[in-house]
Amino acid sequence: MVYTVALIGNPNVGKSVIFNNLVPGARQHVGNWPGKTVEKKEGKCVHKGTELKIVDLPGTYSLTARAVDELIARNYIVEEKPDVVVHIIDASNIERNLYLTFLLLELEANIVIALNMFDVAKEKGYKIDVKKLSKQLGVPIVPTVATTKEGMKKLNDEIVYAAQKKGLVKVKPVITYGEKIEDLIQSIVDIIKDGMLAQKYPPRWLAIKLLEKDEDILEKIKGNRYQRELMEVLS
Amino acid sequence: MKAKEILGEDPEIVLADKRYDLISTILATSLVRGAKKWTLTDMLDKVFIHKTLGIPVFIALFWAMFRFAYDASAPFMEIIGLFFEKLAEASAGIPNEILASLIGDGIFGGLGFILTFIPPIFFLFLGISILEDSGYLARAAFIMDKIMFKLGLHGRSFIPMLLGFGCNVPAMMATRSIEGEKDRLITLLVNPFISCGARLPVYVLIAGAFFGSMAPTAVWSMYLLGIVVAILLALLLRKTILRGEPAPFIMELPLYKAPTFHGSVIHMWERGVQFLKKAGTYLLAGAIILWFLSTFPWGAEVELSYTGQIGHALAPIFSPLGFDWRIVASLVFALLAKEIAVEALGIIYAVEGVSAIEGALVASYNPVIGYTLMAFTLLYIPCVATIGTMKKESGSWKWTIFQLVLTLVLAYVVGLIITGIGAILGYA
Repeated sequence: MVYTVALIGNPNVGKSVIFNNLVPGARQHVGNWPGKTVEKKEGKCVHKGTELKIVDLPGTYSLTARAVDELIARNYIVEEKPDVVVHIIDASNIERNLYLTFLLLELEANIVIALNMFDVAKEKGYKIDVKKLSKQLGVPIVPTVATTKEGMKKLNDEIVYAAQKKGLVKVKPVITYGEKIEDLIQSIVDIIKDGMLAQKYPPRWLAIKLLEKDEDILEKIKGNRYQRELMEVLS
Repeated sequence: MKAKEILGEDPEIVLADKRYDLISTILATSLVRGAKKWTLTDMLDKVFIHKTLGIPVFIALFWAMFRFAYDASAPFMEIIGLFFEKLAEASAGIPNEILASLIGDGIFGGLGFILTFIPPIFFLFLGISILEDSGYLARAAFIMDKIMFKLGLHGRSFIPMLLGFGCNVPAMMATRSIEGEKDRLITLLVNPFISCGARLPVYVLIAGAFFGSMAPTAVWSMYLLGIVVAILLALLLRKTILRGEPAPFIMELPLYKAPTFHGSVIHMWERGVQFLKKAGTYLLAGAIILWFLSTFPWGAEVELSYTGQIGHALAPIFSPLGFDWRIVASLVFALLAKEIAVEALGIIYAVEGVSAIEGALVASYNPVIGYTLMAFTLLYIPCVATIGTMKKESGSWKWTIFQLVLTLVLAYVVGLIITGIGAILGYA
């Protein structure tokens, strides 16, 4: 059994250093995403007898349909459904980086967080309660310093552990938008939940994207039998 | 239930705000910020991205880079120059007169002459690589972005501008990352004014001939002129035919780090090697064609050759700028690639039997004409490759032709202004 692991993160967080730490140079493969000029790096590695296929997603701040790299990352996660998504965070900019974590949680990805540049955060005077944060988000978190390989073994352990228990634990949504918006999301979920699209994508995520007027999803909804009913809520 | 009533006109922002609120709530209990320690990056940024200091520091660092590129490349230019001089002398011994002229005047006098100007390109790219690898270039982008945003240019415009210092073709392709159609078009239209590496040989030749120890400063002033023209033109376009507001743009500043010798040299090599490739192909072919046009009909004076005829036909248009037929002919050929201007001058003089080209330039023209020529080379019609890229990226002949006319008119007008200022200073 080969598990697929996707690496994601904002630009400049040390994502490629982590990729290089995980995959030995000789086993790396560089190509392009199908039909795009965006570079795609992937490679295989074995940790404690478990084979992992690591895919490096483009560096992004968010997952909208507006930019090519964001759409590539998002489509990979929703369509290829990797076993684990490792979100690499710049610990010294944790507030902004967590935004992407939230988007990944909405995508119902099986996340492991690498809290990278932990040394820089410490230098900056940050004290992060990793255990508590992990509990709040419902996601395993490993502090790392990619450049010195600190925390890499632990990260590998967590990736394998997360891959093995995938689908066994159902986490309830961490992000709630307040009563009014939640009601709105629920009413959209009720409309689309039996449709084809909801088989493929998480319904709650679809509902949120529809509320955000996401072009890609609006396009996909076109011609569906519930389109009319949906537009009444959305307009 | 209606989404609009609850989420308003811009639901994406409302939802994003909610997410950030939630992040703050979570971090309030699991993150203690502590007393902020001063890092090296913070200290450097106090100066480098300072409101008022930032720009003078940028201009000074840029100047230092040209001084470095110019001084460091001087011995290499000397060596390459001597090498081709010897080769040209040796080729005089070839018995066939035409072949001797082709090799001596065309290949060595033209291609060899342009090759002497390759070292400054490499050293300039080394300077840019060091600034880039250290993290400073991102700061330069940041301070320029602030000005540009006030002037109505999109923030992402600066990345294509940076690439433009190497070559405008990839720079124009990089505008694809700009979202708004108008934002993108403005960036495409002004990008050719960012002085690419191919213009550098022209500046170095002319500045070296006329400005002595001030030569690096003269070269640096061309780059500044290019930036100023690009920004002013962007502003003008934004206020007239391409009205609108630029979209906001977030950019991240990496930490400063000491550039490594290995990394910077590799960067320099990647950028510079394309000029060597160009020299081996286009410039070699260009040298042969130019030589042919400058020596035939065989036996005629250069002035009466095809090159001379082209130059003479167009010279009256440029006489207000002080350009004679040699310069005009060189500028015509330089449409293929700007460094061909140097190659063409080299061949014209070589066929005439002049080897000390700088001396010949000083004898025929004055410094004002030299400076006008530098500015004209910077501003007039970009090379064929850039024109092709403009057509491809804008998808419209209308905008491509607009750019051609605009650059030509602008170059002429700026040339006249420089000539006028020169006249006031006493150069007739």
